Amino acid sequence: MSGAGRIVAGLEAAGVTLAASVPDTWIGKLMATVRRSRTIRAVDAAREEEAVAIACGATLAGGRGAVLIQNAGLFNCGGVLAGLVSLYRIPCFFIVSYRGDRRDPIYYHQPKGRMTEPTLSAWGLPFAIADHTTDLEAQVVRGVESAVASSGPAVLLISGEDIE
Amino acid sequence: MTARRPLLEALVAMLARDDVLVSSLGANSRYLPHLNVTAPVFALCDSMGAAIPLALGMALQRPDRHVVALEGDGSLLMCPNVLATVAAARPSNLTALLWVNGHYESSGGQALPSAPVDWSALAKGFGIANVERVGDVPALRAAFPRAQAAKAPALLVVDVAFDPSEPIPPYSERPDEIRARFRIA
Repeated sequence: MSGAGRIVAGLEAAGVTLAASVPDTWIGKLMATVRRSRTIRAVDAAREEEAVAIACGATLAGGRGAVLIQNAGLFNCGGVLAGLVSLYRIPCFFIVSYRGDRRDPIYYHQPKGRMTEPTLSAWGLPFAIADHTTDLEAQVVRGVESAVASSGPAVLLISGEDIE
Repeated sequence: MTARRPLLEALVAMLARDDVLVSSLGANSRYLPHLNVTAPVFALCDSMGAAIPLALGMALQRPDRHVVALEGDGSLLMCPNVLATVAAARPSNLTALLWVNGHYESSGGQALPSAPVDWSALAKGFGIANVERVGDVPALRAAFPRAQAAKAPALLVVDVAFDPSEPIPPYSERPDEIRARFRIA
């Protein structure tokens, strides 16, 4: 099974019912697999803050929402993370493409890569970096369960090789 | 131009117990605890622009409930792109009311950028077909049932008076209280 298939299997196993997304190249490939899920509703958002609120709405309505975006999009989300997710203590699991890290060959993503972990740490967002050489499905399940347990955000950073 | 409170009272009187109400920050969220609302209410006190996408997520999760979002023109001006997202998702059970007064009421009444935004045209341009402009209580009472019956996302553009001396009550519920009480049966 592809990495994307294992990630989506993890979302399904964790009971995710809705995945709201703004794509980049990697997230777009992942969402193509989400769209084949029989239990997860894929929602295309125009901007990342919307995706966060859409996922939170699904959770508040009794489902389980997740957000699939690029790290640049996560940078857009400081306001909604503070004023919705944290303020109202809503579980919200993110899968974020880690553009610009050492595994990303494209040079113009590098500034985003340098900002990613410092931003996550500064915002107090718990995060893990996916490792496709071990049980990727379990890493997704742990992320979702972490968000639920903390009634807050949890982020899994993925690279292109994790979805191959 | 009609004041906010009679419009809000007329709206909540039309809500059924099975509906769901999501309110953006500001005057609507501050008034709602003082009104007799039978539907579950999720009232924001921050996060401008989140009411419509939050309601969209609820509507997609619970297609058996009609979800009503209250949003302000200042908030939607920050992220009008959400109208495209709603149009693309095509929920049959989402009605948004856009309260247009041209001011950031909760932050001191500053004027919005003075562009003459045509909200109805903008929404239609984004693909929301069911759009009506409402200027008073009778018009709201007529338009809201049509919006709910549309079987497609609907937007009511509500022209509301801006009155800097309006005695809007302060927030009276904490977010943790709102979160704990919010349940869709």
